Amino acid sequence: MTWQSALEFARGPLFYGALLFFIAGMLYRLVTVVALGWSKDRVPDKGSKAGGVVRSFLKGILIWPFIPWVKNTFSRNPLIYIGGGLFHLGLFVTILLGTPHMLVWKSLLGFGWPTLPLPVVDWLAVGGIIGMLILLVHRRINPVLRLISGPAEYLAWLVVFVPMVTGYMMTHHLFFRYEVLYTFHMFSVDFLLIWIPLSRISHFMFYFFSRAIHGQQFGKRGVRV
Amino acid sequence: MSKETIEEHLKKQGLTRRDFLKLSGMLAVAAGFKFDVPEATAGGAVARRARGYSADRRVLKAMETRPRVPVIWLEFSDCAGCTEAISRSNSPTLGNLVLNTLTIEYHETLSAAAGFQAEQAKQDAMAKYAGQYILVVEGAIPVAEGGIHCTIGGRTALDILKEAAAGAAAIIATGNCAAYGGLPRAKPNPTDAKGVWELVTDKPVVNIPGCPAIPEATTGTIAHFVLFGALPELDALGRPKPFYGVTVHDRCLRRPFYEAGKFAGSYDDEGARKGWCLYKLGCKGPTTYNACASIKWDSGLSFPIQSGHPCLGCSEPNFWDGGGFYQGQSAPLERPEVTAVAAAAAVGAAAGVGTALINRSNKKAHGGEK
Ligand code: HEM
Ligand code: HEM
Ligand code: SF4
Repeated sequence: MTWQSALEFARGPLFYGALLFFIAGMLYRLVTVVALGWSKDRVPDKGSKAGGVVRSFLKGILIWPFIPWVKNTFSRNPLIYIGGGLFHLGLFVTILLGTPHMLVWKSLLGFGWPTLPLPVVDWLAVGGIIGMLILLVHRRINPVLRLISGPAEYLAWLVVFVPMVTGYMMTHHLFFRYEVLYTFHMFSVDFLLIWIPLSRISHFMFYFFSRAIHGQQFGKRGVRV
Repeated sequence: MSKETIEEHLKKQGLTRRDFLKLSGMLAVAAGFKFDVPEATAGGAVARRARGYSADRRVLKAMETRPRVPVIWLEFSDCAGCTEAISRSNSPTLGNLVLNTLTIEYHETLSAAAGFQAEQAKQDAMAKYAGQYILVVEGAIPVAEGGIHCTIGGRTALDILKEAAAGAAAIIATGNCAAYGGLPRAKPNPTDAKGVWELVTDKPVVNIPGCPAIPEATTGTIAHFVLFGALPELDALGRPKPFYGVTVHDRCLRRPFYEAGKFAGSYDDEGARKGWCLYKLGCKGPTTYNACASIKWDSGLSFPIQSGHPCLGCSEPNFWDGGGFYQGQSAPLERPEVTAVAAAAAVGAAAGVGTALINRSNKKAHGGEK
């Protein structure tokens, strides 16, 4: 068993299986949540539900996160705001705009897109890793968070952290040979794919639901958010 | 061992002392001495091995005192490309000198004799130099159905290999086929082709993979053994570190473009014309350990990436099955078919509906929402 054959396994059959599991798992989660159903709405609307949803999305994703002082998270908890922001930004940029990752999408979807220069992606990846460390430290020092954090929370953190770090080490050929790091990167990514539907990392799908539902409620009641 | 020293043998072949000094200089480089290659720098400098080292004293001394070591070269499931690569280089080259003048005792393709004569010549050489010769193998060894897929003179490759390996002092597997099975081993590998080191386990086997192997890597390794009676240091895949110590990507002249995120998107776009990185066109340089980017080919003239073609990764095991040659290095090896994705989605959705129905009936049973 050589590193090459381990890498072949992680890039080949294991990735294949993990991806199908991910798709099946996410659909399962989606269907069970959608099937919970909406409760009947017997109260007349004061405002537009649709408008509320649009506003909620625009502000929640495109505007708020970038204007710290209007964001409650920031005034109440700057560490989560900064750590979470750095992490998610680094994550999205690397997996969408890093060349190796775009090529993964391209091979799966059949089309690609322009990517950012390596140094840019690289620094954002560093930011992402630092962001994750901030979130972890915060989780350990904040008394409330610490109390409500169990193994599942730390595991979810780790499952995302390992691909980030192995990817970064790979780019810089740190400590191990390239194919060794690539093998670690792929095994950790495969595990992440399997773990997402089983854990709260699936929030990236449900986030849109909660945004939509809150927005709908705000819109309906004419609340200006 | 044959009593003749290397120098005496060369004199008999008509080499002058001057030729001899020149040869030992070349050998010093070939054997991996001072094989220090400048790093490709971000300024765009071309990574290139400095040439023309002066003769190494140790090499000279070894040539004057060490006995000549014969080489027996066998071919199995191969295309003779490695032999071609060595013999077609401009003469007089290192390859010529090391192989023709210095060492070769028997070579399947280059031998003047044919048929039974050639077989006899090989048997004679093996008997005469038993325990001393270097066995060079080119080509994979198919073992399916008792090895009948490659036979020479009525005997299977496996049989011939075992016999020749028994009397060898060291074995060198040149080319990806002999090292790791190469093309004959590509899926579905109908002949169950194998590399030498999977079949001969009681002798040191040096792998010089490549498709073909870089001639200098093969001759250099032979030279190293001839001069010092020992093999160069090997990596985990049995490759000599002087030639396979770093990746093609690490010494690539296009590396600064990789760092800058400048990629050729096709073979004739602006990026291709400007010599940008070939990663998006499927370059396997980052995971390929070989000396192409430093030694290069045709006496240092060029190598595939320099001429605009991505690296295929030909010095790595199973490179034929390592994803498409023109597909990005990071792309998964298999892309799930639409039907597989649809099936997975259907299974997930069906399970979701099932769970939801159970939830509903539980809710009703507990007098939930009306
Ligand atoms: C549209 C996409 C996403 C949205 C809107 C989103 C939003 C959030 C929010 C609001 C939090 C909690 C606060 C914070 O730590 O910033 C969070 C935490 C987290 N997210 Fe996401 N996320 C998204 C995608 C992802 C993806 C794709 C991953 C991983 C593959 C991920 C991994 C995590 C992790 C590990 C945490 C918890 C960090 C901790 O330990 O505190 N997120 N996300
Ligand atoms: C099939 C999935 C994936 C493949 C094939 C893949 C492959 C790669 C490759 C080839 C590199 C670049 C190495 C180089 O520049 O030489 C890389 C870097 C990286 N990967 Fe992945 N990756 C995958 C998924 C992921 C995921 C899901 C994450 C995050 C959770 C991730 C995080 C990173 C990071 C942070 C880097 C370093 C980027 C930089 O420093 O510029 N990768 N990956
Ligand atoms: S990816 Fe290929 S072309 Fe680009 S720098 Fe690496 S080895 Fe050179």
